[in-house]
Amino acid sequence: MYQLAVNDYYKQNSSKIIKKIFFYLFLIIVIFFSIYFIILLDTDWHRIGSFQSILEQLSYFIGLDYSIMPHLIVPAFETFLMACLGTMLGLFLSLPVAWLGAKNVTPFGMLSFSFARFLMTISRSVHEIIWALIFVGAVGLGALPGILALAFRSIGFISKIISECIEGADKKPIEAIRAAGGSGFDVMYYGIIPQILPTVVGTIIFEWDINIRRSAVMGLVGAGGLGLAFFRQMHMSNYPGVSTVIIFIVGLIIIGEIVSHFLRKKII
Amino acid sequence: MQDVYKRNNAKNFIFISLFFFLIYLCFLYLGIDFERFFSALGRFGSLIANRYYPVEISYALEPGYLSSILDSVQMGYLGLVFGVIIASILAYLAASNITPSKKVGYIVGKFFIIFSRSIHETIWTILFVTIVGYGMLAGTIALTMYCIGFFGKLFSEELENIDMRLVDTMRSNGSNELQVFAYGVWPQVKTAFTGILIYTWDVCFRASTIIGFFGAGGMGWYLKRNVLQLEYARVSAIILSIIVLVIFSEALSAYMRDKIYKETQ
Repeated sequence: MYQLAVNDYYKQNSSKIIKKIFFYLFLIIVIFFSIYFIILLDTDWHRIGSFQSILEQLSYFIGLDYSIMPHLIVPAFETFLMACLGTMLGLFLSLPVAWLGAKNVTPFGMLSFSFARFLMTISRSVHEIIWALIFVGAVGLGALPGILALAFRSIGFISKIISECIEGADKKPIEAIRAAGGSGFDVMYYGIIPQILPTVVGTIIFEWDINIRRSAVMGLVGAGGLGLAFFRQMHMSNYPGVSTVIIFIVGLIIIGEIVSHFLRKKII
Repeated sequence: MQDVYKRNNAKNFIFISLFFFLIYLCFLYLGIDFERFFSALGRFGSLIANRYYPVEISYALEPGYLSSILDSVQMGYLGLVFGVIIASILAYLAASNITPSKKVGYIVGKFFIIFSRSIHETIWTILFVTIVGYGMLAGTIALTMYCIGFFGKLFSEELENIDMRLVDTMRSNGSNELQVFAYGVWPQVKTAFTGILIYTWDVCFRASTIIGFFGAGGMGWYLKRNVLQLEYARVSAIILSIIVLVIFSEALSAYMRDKIYKETQ
């Protein structure tokens, strides 16, 4: 009996299995295709030379440049501040977007909803480096374009989470406030915000953690911080200095990760 | 939940003013002009309207650029494949509950995942461009490192959350490590693996559009060229094409996720 059932099952699913096999085969063929075109054809194998010369290149990076360490503390702090301010500005900017993008509280129906969704998608799909490039063009060099770029990049994620929270909020307190004659603001302030606050704070801490990582590269295109130090050391071909900067970046990020881990644990 | 509004008003006021004072100090420290900060959005708007606005869409449809899109996609795909293969092994080592050796493997796996996660993909690109030279090999290796960090972290967390009773039962029945993995661990994380894989693809593709800016081929290289030539109409065309591609890839992965969700139900 059992055997029969298994056979039936396979008969029903045989076309599905064949489709699956073709799908995986396609993926594997694409791998070989890409290896041929991307790695074998496009690489300048003479430039790389032998395996030994790669090791030689790598060996330049070994060691630390202690003399630049005191000059890295200020950029590290700058990077940290840039991440904090960028996340905060991102939060302020994403509040209205989240309000427009939540289906149950959006004021103008489909029009404002789709507009907010469009803003979120743009903010998420444009890479932080491109945002930084645009803002360096708009406001000049320094920490400000970095902050703005981080803020604009964070809008998508933060406002998406907030608007999803608003959509999933419990309707009973909201209706009670409406029935008691509360205005739209009252509904927002007393009905929705207390419900979504823990999730939102968790999200902001998470985004702050990511923003530290992002703010460390803002200097590559003209905003300040550790990225600028990295860029300088790289252009001076001071490879031990490069690894020193990288160690600073890693240290900063690990500190941020530990802090965010404990903060999130405290909230949840 | 009710505690949110039960605070002392004076305390609240002091807290908020201290907060703004801190922000003010940060601005002073970073040397940001307030007038500049408040005019930033206006400048941004005028920049978009005056320089970026007449989008030169025909540039984004040129065959050279279109083939660079294909290059970017392939680079992202290869980085994903290599990264996921390496990251799965590292994640297996770095999951504290099923790791084969707690002293060496756990530390090695965790260290590599954290290390490759901490460094941004653009920095990886610059490093590998100096080591192996300009070209897509550097980009592929950089994306591999990026995927190792991203996928490894999510997948090792997933592995740490599995139901250990099944694994313990199999171990006590005398299964070896491979059997434990194939029949005890893998069926539990299969769906999560696919979900994380699709998510990683999204992120990896987004990264692959930009890493060319630092010398690994693909669309980023065209972006860099046009930024340096101050061809803003073309830059905006490239940014627009990136947005369209990312939306397309996100729609594709949402479709895939939906399909997998339906199949597992």
